[in-house]
Amino acid sequence: MSENKVLVFNQEKCTGCRSCMMGCSLYHDGVCGKVTSRVAVVRNEVVGESFVVGCDLCSDAPCAAVCPTGACSMDPQAGIAKINPAKCIGCKECAMACPFGAINMSIKTGKAFKCDVCEGRVEGPVCADWCPSGAITYTTPTIAFKAKRREKLNERLAAVKAGEEV
Amino acid sequence: MNGWSGKRLRVNLTTGKITSEALSYEYRRKWIGGRGMNSEVIYSEVPTHLDPFDPEARVCFGVGPISGTAAPSSGRVTVSCKSPLTGGFGDSNMGGHWGAELKFAGWDQIIVQGKAKKPVYLWIDDDKVEIRDANHLWGKFPREADTMIKQELGDEDIHIVLIGPAGENLVRFACTFNDVYRAAGRTGHGAVIGSKNLKGIAVRGSGVVDIARPKEFFDVCNRLRQTFKTDPMTKFLYEIGSLSLINVAVHDGWIGAKNFQEGAHPDAHFMSGEEHSKTVLKHREGCFSCPICCGRFTEIKEGPYAGESGGGPEYEHSVPTGPRVGVFEPNAIWHNMILTNNYGMDGIETGGTIATAMEWYQRGLITTKDTGGLELEWGNQEVVSKLIGMMAMREGFGDVLADGASRAADRLGLGDEGHKYTFSTRGMTMPGDDPRGLGFAYGTGFAIGTRGGCDHLRALPSLELSGFMYPGLNTKILGDERPAKPTTLVGKGYCTFYEENQKAMTDCLNVCCFTTHWSFAVLTADQVEYFNAVTGMDITEEEFQEIGERIVNLERAYWSRMLSGLREDTIPERFVKEPMPQGVPDQTNVGSTFPIQKTLPGYYKYRDYDLETGFPSERRLKMLGLDYVAKDLAPLRAKYNTEAEKKKKKYYY
Repeated sequence: MSENKVLVFNQEKCTGCRSCMMGCSLYHDGVCGKVTSRVAVVRNEVVGESFVVGCDLCSDAPCAAVCPTGACSMDPQAGIAKINPAKCIGCKECAMACPFGAINMSIKTGKAFKCDVCEGRVEGPVCADWCPSGAITYTTPTIAFKAKRREKLNERLAAVKAGEEV
Repeated sequence: MNGWSGKRLRVNLTTGKITSEALSYEYRRKWIGGRGMNSEVIYSEVPTHLDPFDPEARVCFGVGPISGTAAPSSGRVTVSCKSPLTGGFGDSNMGGHWGAELKFAGWDQIIVQGKAKKPVYLWIDDDKVEIRDANHLWGKFPREADTMIKQELGDEDIHIVLIGPAGENLVRFACTFNDVYRAAGRTGHGAVIGSKNLKGIAVRGSGVVDIARPKEFFDVCNRLRQTFKTDPMTKFLYEIGSLSLINVAVHDGWIGAKNFQEGAHPDAHFMSGEEHSKTVLKHREGCFSCPICCGRFTEIKEGPYAGESGGGPEYEHSVPTGPRVGVFEPNAIWHNMILTNNYGMDGIETGGTIATAMEWYQRGLITTKDTGGLELEWGNQEVVSKLIGMMAMREGFGDVLADGASRAADRLGLGDEGHKYTFSTRGMTMPGDDPRGLGFAYGTGFAIGTRGGCDHLRALPSLELSGFMYPGLNTKILGDERPAKPTTLVGKGYCTFYEENQKAMTDCLNVCCFTTHWSFAVLTADQVEYFNAVTGMDITEEEFQEIGERIVNLERAYWSRMLSGLREDTIPERFVKEPMPQGVPDQTNVGSTFPIQKTLPGYYKYRDYDLETGFPSERRLKMLGLDYVAKDLAPLRAKYNTEAEKKKKKYYY
């Protein structure tokens, strides 16, 4: 069985530039604005830290589980939760249930909207495609975790080389 | 409305009156936004005889039609005023996220005039605008005030423009910050804002920018984003920031150590971007919608300054408060940077003024009697660090220097000899690029910049500097590959002219010049394409250039009205007369001088300035739709060459 790709967020690399948000907003809604983006960047300028929040594409998604009308439901093929605006009543349950704060409510319609990994875009989600620092990547879990383990090994090797105690 | 919000905010702090003004189609098309609209306001609303600290003086914050969109680096904002440093036209722009937020709040421009009775700050929550008390914020560093305002308003996602204590104390080169560390550094508008008792402007925007042709705009942006992924300059700027220039500057001998007495210094390598990334870089920072992310966040780990942290460094900020004053210890340089940021002072003018004083001291023009006992020896970090604080608080000798190098020379009565070492043009000191051997267009740009100060950011003719990284680019843009050689006269007049116009437009759109000048991922054709896709207009490359030209001419005319012209189009004498000394073994520019008299005529030819006065010519002004400016200048043309005017000193403020 082929594995579905997921969005991987690496907070250490996020520069807080919000290129992802602008790409997302423009691609989906044809306008540019922070309020219409499915991905969000939170910044603390004083300490120079940024944090990117997007849908982590849960396989047992709380947003779908709490939806009272079935507007938010799992798409078994894509493996992600999707929101059908026709059925959405704007109750905000999904937004509250999401552990990451990755669901937004539209100011215009009052309905919930969330990441759809830019369904159909050949190059994958715009946010990952446009991210200049590699803070957002779009890949399979296997590859992502392999890379993470390899990184840990390399850190250890570098420490050994530097003569630090390990 | 597509692109623009279509309205600007006018705040009168004397009366407390807040008004919204509609911006007509013709007005927007003529001045675009940002620098263009600001310059128009300064030209028509601020008389040249007005004291920059007069309540009637204006300070403008402008963004462009592309601001707050997916276009690369579209979050900048231009701040303009009559400069308290030069007395002439002044503007400066900054990155960060405030500019985009202002657009999301539904404004293209803010004009602040008048003077509040007590310290205040502005709170713009979409179309609700409020003047709030800022007594408790007065005297605070931007990093403190930022946190306090966010707590007070109960929203940490807002963006705030702030001045530091230097602006409150009317230091003539105080600057403005947004997002705590992103500074609009030059020309001293921080002091103008301070003179109005305004501490800052907090903004929250919940709107969106409408796009005329979204599909087309997405395709342009997407194409450009892909270009950035492989762009050679972007790689350097992301990895090691603008300090990537240090090692180049040392090799090519333009770092300007010890007030330009040395072009290269072997110890400067220690402050290179390569070293910085390995030692004190905590985080890479990105301004709004930026595919480059050259911003840094530094945390000092060792030595007497261990534990200090802050945004930066940037090349032009760190060189003046480092090598220029003879300080080469990296942690000391990062400390000076953090200090100037906290106090809210322009790092270039701060370093430039201290370096000037050091050279006066070296040559015996001033002694410890003048400095209040401070020994201004090259590289005396203790004194540099102390002086930065004294300048910001206007204490002792710091009070003299807080007026900038040129005014300090006059306050100390040093005459022409003193002015020789200020490295100023039109009253503002220059950044850390020695033009000797650097590039003929680049140095020409220094002489003619419309905000003075030998400014590299006005023309920014980097086609000749980055040219080697982009083979064929000069041919594509200028129709000739020969100008890619920095020290040739071929094509340099046109190169300076073209890039100055394009830079003016880049500032009107308020996108970052690192996307269009240092790196060439975005060319004029691309800018025209995204401008049209966003606004739904159909301007051509020629019209794009023409609008840039209009803005350059308007700013130049502001100086002309002050009878500043041809005689002020020069660079400091040392670059013309003293051959570059050897500093490091492989230095490329040893023995060179800068032939400004040879490079200027080529530029004038394209600019069509009046060769008697250096004023914009009447025919060109009329061609650019500036008839009223031509009328303003007509009676002044004869006055410029009167004996009294000729005798006037070349330095200007």
